[in-house]
Amino acid sequence: MTTTNKTVPVHRDVKAELRQQAEEMRQTFAKRGTLVVNVLSSPGAGKTSLLEATARHWGDRRRMAVLVGDLATDRDAQRLAPHCPVEQLTTGGACHLEIPLVKQGLAKLGSNDFDFLFIENVGNLVCPASHDLAEHVRVVLLSVTEGDDKPGKYPKMFRTSQALVVSKTDLLPHVPFSLDAAIRDARQIQPDLTVMPVCSLSGEGLEQWCRYLDDQRKDMIAKSVTDEVRVAV
Amino acid sequence: MHEFSLVRSLLRQVGDLLVEHGGVGVKAIRVEMGPLSGVERQLVELAFDQEVVMTPCRGARLVIEEVSLTAICQDCRAEFQMQGFDFVCHSCESRQIQITGGDEFRLLDVDIAVSEASRSELHQRV
Ligand SMILES: Nc1nc2c(ncn2[C@@H]2O[C@H](COP(=O)(O)OP(=O)(O)OP(=O)(O)O)[C@@H](O)[C@H]2O)c(=O)[nH]1
Ligand SMILES: [Mg+2]
Ligand SMILES: [Zn+2]
Repeated sequence: MTTTNKTVPVHRDVKAELRQQAEEMRQTFAKRGTLVVNVLSSPGAGKTSLLEATARHWGDRRRMAVLVGDLATDRDAQRLAPHCPVEQLTTGGACHLEIPLVKQGLAKLGSNDFDFLFIENVGNLVCPASHDLAEHVRVVLLSVTEGDDKPGKYPKMFRTSQALVVSKTDLLPHVPFSLDAAIRDARQIQPDLTVMPVCSLSGEGLEQWCRYLDDQRKDMIAKSVTDEVRVAV
Repeated sequence: MHEFSLVRSLLRQVGDLLVEHGGVGVKAIRVEMGPLSGVERQLVELAFDQEVVMTPCRGARLVIEEVSLTAICQDCRAEFQMQGFDFVCHSCESRQIQITGGDEFRLLDVDIAVSEASRSELHQRV
């Protein structure tokens, strides 16, 4: 059989289709008034602790739910279950979450009537940075025990985040970590980064963090309304 | 390491193109990556070698084009190539810059083999 060669041009990101899905979901969530927050960090930086503390802080004043990614166990989901609706996303060994798994989790969650939907990503500062999970806000946690030089070492993660939570601030007296140096390093990469020091154990800084989330949600709703008006006109 | 999942997705997309264009095989797959693509070249190559043999793309060559990180300044509109990861404008030192290249893992194009027979059939149908 004789064959000829044919070049098929594509020129698009390998994740273009998933990104498109994420974009559509983001708009749907915005219209519904649900702020989606993608929470990322290295393993053990305190993501689950922050979400537990957030749920405790709000009590029943806000409706929040959590989708939590884990390689194999449901430990984080069990920790969060007493506080709010939560679904486990088991990645089966994969080091990051992708949109199809998020969709499965949402289906299992049943209700979609939330003010805030948190997605706790798998602990990893590299791969999750590349995957859009339909979030409105991407938050990266850096615990003080990890060192203040980390932002520059993980540029994609910090570049694609809107907020940085410096966690475990109660340990500051015990470790050589300069808050200023960490902030400087992070803003070198992402000048608009909002930085919030938090201790999830004592609740210090939680007020500011929760206010930030409320503000982001208000902005999202306002923006979604003007977008609709624009479409209507 | 998410390269395997990305490469599997890449091969799925190329497989779809192969069917869509009535090809009989894939000769080459050209992709682009840069410093902020979030993928490691060696891991992509490793994943490709392992995965491609299990797909209709088997026998295809992977051609990787490495590009540098480029940006445009939101303040002075200067376009420039970035050195390292210092996100600052080369002309006016503004930090309000937008990345324009080198932050994606892109499928550029695909060389597929089309049999002469299926080509003429295609022409007849048209
Ligand atoms: N001292 C101190 N310890 C904390 C704080 N927040 C969390 N921890 C501890 O840090 C450890 C890890 O916290 P987690 O909340 O499980 O961290 P994570 O990021 O969810 O971990 P993975 O999901 O496994 O990546 C636990 O032992 C927490 O008790 C804090 O503010 N101060
Ligand atoms: Mg956790
Ligand atoms: Zn400039």
